[in-house]
Amino acid sequence: MTAGRLAFEAVTGGYGSTTIVRDLTGTANSGEVLCVLGRNGVGKSTLMKLLFGYLPCHRGQVLLDGKPVSQLDPSARRRNGMTYCPQERPVFDDLSVRDNLTLMRTSRQIGAFRRYFDRFPILERRLTQHAGTLSGGEKKMLSFVRGLAEDQPIVLLDEPSEGVQWENILHMIAIIAEKKAAGAAFVVVEQNLSFAERIADRYLIMDQGRMVLEGSSSAIHRGQILAHLHV
Amino acid sequence: MDPLIVTQAINLVYAVSTLAVLALGLAVIFGLLGVLNIAHGEFIMIGAYCAYVTQSGRWPYLAAVPLTLIVCGVLGWAVEWIMIRPLYRRPFDTLVATWGLSLLLRKIAEAIFGLGFYSVNIPLPGTVHFLDTEYPIYRLLLIAVSLIIVIGLVIWYGGSRTGSRIRAMISNPELAQAQGISVRRLAAGTFIVGTCLAGLGGVMLAPLIPVQPFMGLDYVLRAFFVLIVGGLGSAAGLLSGAAVIGGVDSVVSATSSATDGYFAVLVLSILFLWLRPRGIVAHS
Amino acid sequence: MRTASLIVLIAIALPFLLGPFWAYQLGLYALYAAAAVGVGLCWGRAGFLPLGQALFFGLAAYLSGLTFIAFADLPIIAVLAMPIFAIVSALLAYAIGVLVFRRRGESGPYFSMITLALSLLAFQIATSWNSVTGGFNGLKGIPGLPGLNDFSDVYYVSAAALLIVLAIAGWLYTAPIGVLWRALAQNERRVQLFGFDTNQLKAFAFGMSGLMAGIGGVIYAPQQGIVTPQAVGFGLSADLVIWSAVGGRGSLLGPVIGTLLVGSLTAQLRDTLPFWEVLMAVFFIVIVLVFPRGIVGLADPLARFLRSRRKHPAIAAPKRLNSDPPARLVLNSIGVRAGEFTILDRLSLDFDPTGIFCVIGPNGAGKTSMFNAVSGELATVTGSIDLGGMSVSGLTPHRVTRLGVARKLQIPSVFQHLSIADNLAIALWSGRASKLQLLDPRLRRWTTPMLEDLQKRYPFLASAERKAGELSHGEQQILELAMALLTEPRVLLLDEPCAGLSPEETTAVIGIVRWAAQRLGGAIIVIEHDMSLVKELAEVVYVLHNGTLLAKGSVAAIQADAAVRAVYVGGEK
Repeated sequence: MTAGRLAFEAVTGGYGSTTIVRDLTGTANSGEVLCVLGRNGVGKSTLMKLLFGYLPCHRGQVLLDGKPVSQLDPSARRRNGMTYCPQERPVFDDLSVRDNLTLMRTSRQIGAFRRYFDRFPILERRLTQHAGTLSGGEKKMLSFVRGLAEDQPIVLLDEPSEGVQWENILHMIAIIAEKKAAGAAFVVVEQNLSFAERIADRYLIMDQGRMVLEGSSSAIHRGQILAHLHV
Repeated sequence: MDPLIVTQAINLVYAVSTLAVLALGLAVIFGLLGVLNIAHGEFIMIGAYCAYVTQSGRWPYLAAVPLTLIVCGVLGWAVEWIMIRPLYRRPFDTLVATWGLSLLLRKIAEAIFGLGFYSVNIPLPGTVHFLDTEYPIYRLLLIAVSLIIVIGLVIWYGGSRTGSRIRAMISNPELAQAQGISVRRLAAGTFIVGTCLAGLGGVMLAPLIPVQPFMGLDYVLRAFFVLIVGGLGSAAGLLSGAAVIGGVDSVVSATSSATDGYFAVLVLSILFLWLRPRGIVAHS
Repeated sequence: MRTASLIVLIAIALPFLLGPFWAYQLGLYALYAAAAVGVGLCWGRAGFLPLGQALFFGLAAYLSGLTFIAFADLPIIAVLAMPIFAIVSALLAYAIGVLVFRRRGESGPYFSMITLALSLLAFQIATSWNSVTGGFNGLKGIPGLPGLNDFSDVYYVSAAALLIVLAIAGWLYTAPIGVLWRALAQNERRVQLFGFDTNQLKAFAFGMSGLMAGIGGVIYAPQQGIVTPQAVGFGLSADLVIWSAVGGRGSLLGPVIGTLLVGSLTAQLRDTLPFWEVLMAVFFIVIVLVFPRGIVGLADPLARFLRSRRKHPAIAAPKRLNSDPPARLVLNSIGVRAGEFTILDRLSLDFDPTGIFCVIGPNGAGKTSMFNAVSGELATVTGSIDLGGMSVSGLTPHRVTRLGVARKLQIPSVFQHLSIADNLAIALWSGRASKLQLLDPRLRRWTTPMLEDLQKRYPFLASAERKAGELSHGEQQILELAMALLTEPRVLLLDEPCAGLSPEETTAVIGIVRWAAQRLGGAIIVIEHDMSLVKELAEVVYVLHNGTLLAKGSVAAIQADAAVRAVYVGGEK
């Protein structure tokens, strides 16, 4: 088995002195999606922040292609092959849709986004509008396109489908499948089980900051997952 | 038209536009980065002393510009690195640190140049016939240059990539980092632009005022009041604040006394602090 | 007492030790030191930086000087007027404090800049108002204090003034208000949430600092014989800040040591060492950034020796000022917006006056925002909030707290640099101490039966001298919970009380919450994510989603509710 592009070992951390995530281990392998599931407040977003370097690990480490990355701040991790789409405030409200997409590119040309606009025509229609005027779901689509268009080997998505219509979720599933085929590794936090089921190769289910169930998607039934998600 | 009225009107425009350019550096640092750089006035002072040094060295006046940019740039870089960056999350400590810096810069100027006033010669002396009245050329030039700088910077900020990245960094620093913007470097660059703008303001102003170590205090206060009244974080705020403060000061000083002008500005600012704390052009 | 006696002894002995020249110098600098103690009070205790303190010193000096000149034949009148002028300075400072400290949020930079501007304005007025102040050359020919002859006499008057100022400051620092100042310097919002009007507390601090500067100023005029605009201006204001920082602004004696040592040294060395002032500026920056305790910090062992070790007996606290019965908290269709975003959308909640209730919901549902709206920190654009039939919408946070609402915040917000005893005392003062009582040091010994019970359950709460910051995360949560309980609220808002706690600590918290529900008899509203906790505690569960109420009912009813499941699990659209 190839070593995971992104791996985390016994990661423990949280905000300040508070510990939210305890002892989590997992890998995101090339061409696979690791889906992180769990109820609210169990620490899924905190895990993502630890993986991307917004929070320091109290214990444990995060490894990129086998090398520890604790020294790298988020912008450095981005430059080293990781993409992150946050759950909250996913776009720059003050900038136009076009600027959101091309902010870090060398030119303002949007030709590169043609294949994405074909699937999400609404974004092309709103190119000149301020991203703050988009609906919640449209912002998530914008964030998704921005992230995946970065073409990076490791992609972290935090609740990409929140507020998004089902037909657009199907497009997201298709795009993720294409990227997987090209070798990208994904870690996706999701609340929407139907979406998760269609993309996941492995599950990591959390409760109270710890892992309670993990394994390949073929080995875990829906019923087991639901048991941990229910109120 | 009555020449006296024209003169007063041009004086008003002069007061507002020079105030705008002097406040610009603080608008960048306080308005964008949220750092109250009390030493802003001292960077203006540095610009003025650079003009004096240029004159003493018998170089052309414009040589003061690159000299100021170098001094204020290097100093700004050092200050941001040593003092500002470690204290971004502690605004009160930043206040104290920049006050200490302003003290240090003043004392250094005192040690080098002494407490006395220096005069810098006006590079373009004389008057010109303008709109039915005789008006000093240099002041007209300052008006033009001030407006060019302010408007130019605003256009650049709104339209350029770097401007967009700065706006991105300010409104959503987490996402900015996620997209690979090195917030540290961009913030440092922004700070340096702020200090250099202050220095440029000092170079422009030097021929018209006595150059002495304490000159900066007045300007940092006025710049601060411009931002309180006008609002932080936007060009419209800077310009409206400069218009109100510059206008009130000019009018009251002309009709009454400079002290009364100062008092009026102070009262006005406190009123804004109560009634409309975010300024005329409130920016979220 | 040990410290005080030592100080007085040194003060008396100094002229004999140092000779007449230094006695005179110190006599002058003792007056500046009085003003510096005021700076130390504002900056080192209450956490705001006055950059124009000379205004109060010089104002008092001018007033005193004018009176001494006017009543040159009857100096006794001028002497009697001196305390009045010191009070004038105090009142002016208090008025400025009230005017400036009105914002809800961060007012530090604005305050500093305004005091700076006032000092410059005063300098301008003093320089231009020739007829009254003598203009730039100053008010000359002020007769000296009657009955004083040589340099040592002058010194003793100044020393006495300084000792009075130190006595006032020392008393204020041991009184409850001193503790509250230090607390608000660390976390102003938290102090408001304990029911204290922090704007008034800061204005009072500024007023007292004005008094201290005024006391120095009124003696300065007859002592020096002349008052120039320098006495109100920027230079002296700046020096006061430097001296108090270098000496150690957080301590009582620091500003005095800073002024006497650095001030008088500067006067000597300024002319001989050209870069002395530059050096001082660098020194100031280094101290502020790296070594904030200043010179006094070097003398810590001595300070420990001098600290009194006597333990005083505890005093029973009086009952709450507002002992109202349990109240129904009702939110009527409230709306909260932040710019374009709707945070709370026609949210209507009705909580019974007694019981334990849990509020749950996905991230961003508005739970903490709902708490913020109740405690008055978030303005509602529509709807109203009632407590016991009385509207609390639009009240400032400290007023809402006084009506019997207590909060435990999501992130433990105990006052890290204060001792455990002081933290608990602040909670006891909340709602029980009148404004005047905040000046009474005996209040620091208050205790209530509830506190004693809590200390029996959690012995660490009785280790009075330990700093709260030294406690573990779990202990800080319990301390903050204890503080909220001690205010004996009618409605207790707990925001994720078990975040980051181990299972044992969580069980402990459940225990306290149940015990508190019985003891207090009011309503306890808990935001929680941990469903096992909700199952144990909740009598009624409220589910929020997208800023509005999605469902309400018993735990079993909520678990069976399809809409709730959909929100938590997500489904096909």
